[in-house]
Amino acid sequence: MHAGVDLLAHLEAYVAVVEEGSFSAAADTLHIAQPVLSRRIKTLERHFGGALFDRSRRQITTTELGNLLRPYAKDVLGRVDHLRQVARSARADAECVLGVPPDCEPASLARLIRAGTERGVTIAVREMDTAERAVGLADGSLTVTLLRVPPEVAAHAVPLGLAGNQAERQAIHLENLRPPRGSREPAPPILITAEDTIGFAAERFAKAAARAGLADERIRDATSTSTAVAETLAGHALLLCPERFARHHGLSWSPLADAALHRGYEFATASGRALDWLEPLLAAAVGAVGRTSEHSPAGNASDPHALLVARG
Amino acid sequence: MTRRPTCTASTAALLSLAESIAEDWQRVGATGHLLARNIDTGAELGFDVDVPVPLASVVKVPLALVVLDRIAAGMLDGAMPVTVDPATKSIGPTGVGAFRHPVTLAVGDLIHQAVTVSDNASADALFDLLGVSEVDERLRDWGCPGIRVRHRVQRMYDSVAGVAGMDSDLALELALRDDAAGQHSIETLDSAHGNVGTATALVELLRRIWLDEISRPSATAELRRLMALQVFTHRFASDLRTDTVRVSGKTGTFLHLRHEIGVVSADSGDRVAIAALTRSHRRAAIAHDIDLAIGAAARAAFEALRE
Repeated sequence: MHAGVDLLAHLEAYVAVVEEGSFSAAADTLHIAQPVLSRRIKTLERHFGGALFDRSRRQITTTELGNLLRPYAKDVLGRVDHLRQVARSARADAECVLGVPPDCEPASLARLIRAGTERGVTIAVREMDTAERAVGLADGSLTVTLLRVPPEVAAHAVPLGLAGNQAERQAIHLENLRPPRGSREPAPPILITAEDTIGFAAERFAKAAARAGLADERIRDATSTSTAVAETLAGHALLLCPERFARHHGLSWSPLADAALHRGYEFATASGRALDWLEPLLAAAVGAVGRTSEHSPAGNASDPHALLVARG
Repeated sequence: MTRRPTCTASTAALLSLAESIAEDWQRVGATGHLLARNIDTGAELGFDVDVPVPLASVVKVPLALVVLDRIAAGMLDGAMPVTVDPATKSIGPTGVGAFRHPVTLAVGDLIHQAVTVSDNASADALFDLLGVSEVDERLRDWGCPGIRVRHRVQRMYDSVAGVAGMDSDLALELALRDDAAGQHSIETLDSAHGNVGTATALVELLRRIWLDEISRPSATAELRRLMALQVFTHRFASDLRTDTVRVSGKTGTFLHLRHEIGVVSADSGDRVAIAALTRSHRRAAIAHDIDLAIGAAARAAFEALRE
């Protein structure tokens, strides 16, 4: 017996027989044939220069030498196990699955992947919407992502606005989108893409639109991004999106005046992963401008009694 | 929610107008009940006319009629002073309901305030003078089975505050959700417990008021005079008024309910009674386009039904 790796397998066989109390049970535990196990024990006894087991009785027992070596053998096996675990987790740390919102800037994503390579981390980028990213982080299929949070508490805010083919304004107020009195023209729908149709953000936008006097029917979920862009280009719709998305598709864009309706993101990693260096790169990829909004969505500023009583 | 309404009309042309009005309302996020009838010819159009709807401030019309009837019968003095204390009065955005100091008004002027500016405090002062059940019984005696009066105006506020506190957004959401679910956490919006009326019953009441076929002529004449003085013009009157066309009406607004009943009369002699009772499924306390859709319906109905 020459190689150390061999010694490990043989020590494993020895400890298994001691713990199981029989050669056959130990062979089962190790998933090897009993003759192979017996051969290993014999080799080991030759190696240490003495019998480890007393085979003369019906019930197998450990010899004095066997008793002496057992704790050291277990110690060696335990350390090897730990060594393998460390190696395994070091290998996993070198892989990173990154969930990003749709329509990130490709050049920024490339910078991010390159930065990973420099640190010995392989980054796989997956494009998915808000809800999918939250699920992915929870079930372990994502290592890092940006989670959607209210913009007033978010570390990273991405201004949302309306894209269309109209003249650009400094800011869009939702109530200005109401059709003028007596107008027979159908008012254009406001299309919402998957990144903004789920959860509190969708609810917040719907409520703001309702309070601004827009009919519910005008707020529509876009079935696909490309048809939404097409309808918007044709002048049949307005599209809720960040500025970069609008520019990319040649649409004019104006920001929503109410910053509480903008996108807010929070950097989130799978537990135990220190990947802070990714945060600024990811923020740049989604076009975050830092924290823009300190105020919560507007409530009824007027006298609370006024809306609860019978009026006129 | 998008159940097709059951339309009623005297002619095929009027039927298709009723259908298109229902579609217009649906487009702005409102469902409702409409009946418009030419008082003199009986020609009419409408949809879902026999469903009881919480009346909100529309209840002030039957209330006013019962009080005026008492005055006309000599059982109540229209000049009798009534003092309204701000500490105990019913609250509201207009009239005495909005006052901060005690006032003393004559009964006749309380009626004026309740009808012309929808004053909640004046209306409840009148309810207190007669008793709510008295008003309900009088209507039953007159043969108005589609209208039920069961509570004072302030009860609407109390029943909302009871479940939603001071949160008007929450109150509105509850009202919408309850409508969708068909069960009511706000008692006064439940047609089994609130002040309710059907479009049919309200139009019939208006017809009898305008033709002096109910109460006494001096009472109905005064009610017609007061309804013509209503200050709110955002619904029926929004697209109807000219020097030659007048709207005498009473609106009702509460959470998602937007109503108006009234009579449109023209110099040409045409008189059309209309009841428009709507409920919206939008989370907006103010929806100008729904008010305008009600106005558009009133104009279209008047033009179609006049001779």
